[in-house]
Amino acid sequence: MTDIEKILQPVQENPTYLNLWSAYKKIQSLGLPVSEEGDSLSLAVIGSSTLEPLAACIDVKTRLEGFQTTTFVGGFNTYRQEALDTNSPFYKSEPDVIVLSVDAWSVLDQQFQAIFVRASEKDRLSFQKDLVNSVASVVEVLEKNTSAIILVNNFIAPVFSPLGIVDSKQKIGLKHFIEGANSALVDRFLKSNRVFIVDLDTVSSDFGKSRIMNWNTWYRGSVPFSEDFTPVLADEYLRYIRALKGRAKKCIVLDLDNTLWGGIIGEDGIEGIKLSNTSPGIEYVDFQRGLLSLYNRGVILAICSKNNYDDAVKVFREHPAQVLKEEHFAAMRINWQNKASNIAELAKEINIGLDSMVFFDDNPVERAQVSQVLPEVLVVELPKNPRLYRETLENLKVFDVLSLTKEDLVRGEMYAGKRKRAELEQTATSIEDFLRTLDLKVKIQPVNDFDTPRVVQLIGKTNQFNLTTRRHTDSDVQNFRKSEDAVVYSMAVSDKFGDEGVVGVAIVKMKDSDWWIDTLLMSCRVIGRTVETALLARIVADARAAKAKRVIGEYIPTKKNPPAADVYERHGFGMPAETDYNGTSWILNLETDTIEVPDYIELQED
Amino acid sequence: MTEFDDKLLDILSKVLLVEKEEITDDLRRKDFEPWDSMAHLVIVSEIENEFEIFFEDEEVIELWTVGDIKKVLGTKLSS
Repeated sequence: MTDIEKILQPVQENPTYLNLWSAYKKIQSLGLPVSEEGDSLSLAVIGSSTLEPLAACIDVKTRLEGFQTTTFVGGFNTYRQEALDTNSPFYKSEPDVIVLSVDAWSVLDQQFQAIFVRASEKDRLSFQKDLVNSVASVVEVLEKNTSAIILVNNFIAPVFSPLGIVDSKQKIGLKHFIEGANSALVDRFLKSNRVFIVDLDTVSSDFGKSRIMNWNTWYRGSVPFSEDFTPVLADEYLRYIRALKGRAKKCIVLDLDNTLWGGIIGEDGIEGIKLSNTSPGIEYVDFQRGLLSLYNRGVILAICSKNNYDDAVKVFREHPAQVLKEEHFAAMRINWQNKASNIAELAKEINIGLDSMVFFDDNPVERAQVSQVLPEVLVVELPKNPRLYRETLENLKVFDVLSLTKEDLVRGEMYAGKRKRAELEQTATSIEDFLRTLDLKVKIQPVNDFDTPRVVQLIGKTNQFNLTTRRHTDSDVQNFRKSEDAVVYSMAVSDKFGDEGVVGVAIVKMKDSDWWIDTLLMSCRVIGRTVETALLARIVADARAAKAKRVIGEYIPTKKNPPAADVYERHGFGMPAETDYNGTSWILNLETDTIEVPDYIELQED
Repeated sequence: MTEFDDKLLDILSKVLLVEKEEITDDLRRKDFEPWDSMAHLVIVSEIENEFEIFFEDEEVIELWTVGDIKKVLGTKLSS
């Protein structure tokens, strides 16, 4: 066990505030060097109160998830100076994630609550505007001066109003005043890819607003959150950090009997299982509705059940109350094999990592088997009472993405297309024959504003068909787009089974008469459809039009990208030479060589 | 050792980053670097939460040593 593991052990067993604080202090005293690895995380927590306890909880909780975290904690109410002084230690910490926690009462007049009661509607509006501007202006400075994601707490709507029960009879009562400020904050940063308004008000309500403060520590040391609430609030920021660092879960694997419906289909039969729009069985329908809502926004569903296949699919096809149908599942394993090997197969078939999977099963023995064999899989401790299934699903909070793209919203259909494509491939006589029947259409263009979030998302999460695995951030991509010596290409792919949306990215940098391919990647969904040839052909054509002499590609090996190892060689690049990070560079001489778009791929224009 | 002592030592050990066995009654705030003002704040609130008591501001300032904490806590719990 390493020193860090020893320190984290008590927190794992019992994540109390005291244990989190103690672990934080112990880790700080080790004086660890700043990590340069992929799992490094630089966190900064600044704001209007004493935030070291909150920072400590976030720090240790990220460490529990395997990050090597360095944490900067701002001084008491010095966030403004920290943001404005670009030489401040805050900026020197080069944060990836900034938490900004500003209490509304710290910005407003000390007598605000009393003044508010007699203030005119116009004055109230102007106070509200000042409050929002005061925080938003700091956020804008942070956005300009860093490339971090910025997590801004919204304001907590007070439970008490001096106006009493007629607070809601005023156009801008005290609660409305704060809620209005919160929506103004959201609106102000709606378009930003890096600023997120954290709904502290809702997290507080969920926990219980009367318990979020410890008035003793507040008056003694301006600690804004109670010992019980601080670790809970820390979890909320973890959601953003997981999404940022590609740690979010992507797929839910479901058992059937007593999970999707009550009873056992093989014994109770289709009329006997509990599944109905009224009780008994409504709780299962509700759980399925919850799953469908996640499916609709891009979470992949799969089945792993010990059953006779025909019994199980009969429910999908014939039961009137069944919400989820066969088409909603990217893959199914309905057989009598052990669940761990079934789940491993599902991961392979869907082409995602085991660490992206979440497993739901009512049977604790099955859960234990999967946990033991596949520790990477998140196995949900499903309560015995099925009425709590939906709540359990909703409280998981592990499926977050930082931006919701068009591709997320139709992902389910794409996987259904994938299943049909696989069936066609089995009947085709040759690969080219198969590709010809697909009616492939490809659209390649310098990326526009609309597709940029998707491009950044792909750069952040693509592992397999990724030649250099350079994790450029949103601001890096914006800079490439602005630069005259770089082009960012996006590639959208569709075929007769469906529209995949943007699935390919290339970033090219021009140096003298060379075009360097800094980044070339493709979603694993389209591997094997030779669309990368179309992307390379476009780069070559553009390079030639710009009078370049050579196109240079680079391959940097990682554990996960062997599927992309021979891309340049296959496309006629030569003269391999060693580069940094064990990489190899490949050259295509434009005077003698070229790359053509395969004739079975149709190029689409705007 | 009483349960009372053990709970207190657990808090002190976790906040001050010392083993329970090394905590003596004459361990003094001014002479012990990890016992800074933030640590003091955490110790006081953890004791308040654990033993369901309350310290006045003056009492908090006068807690100079582990012995002081034990004495005040003893008085509060017996009254």
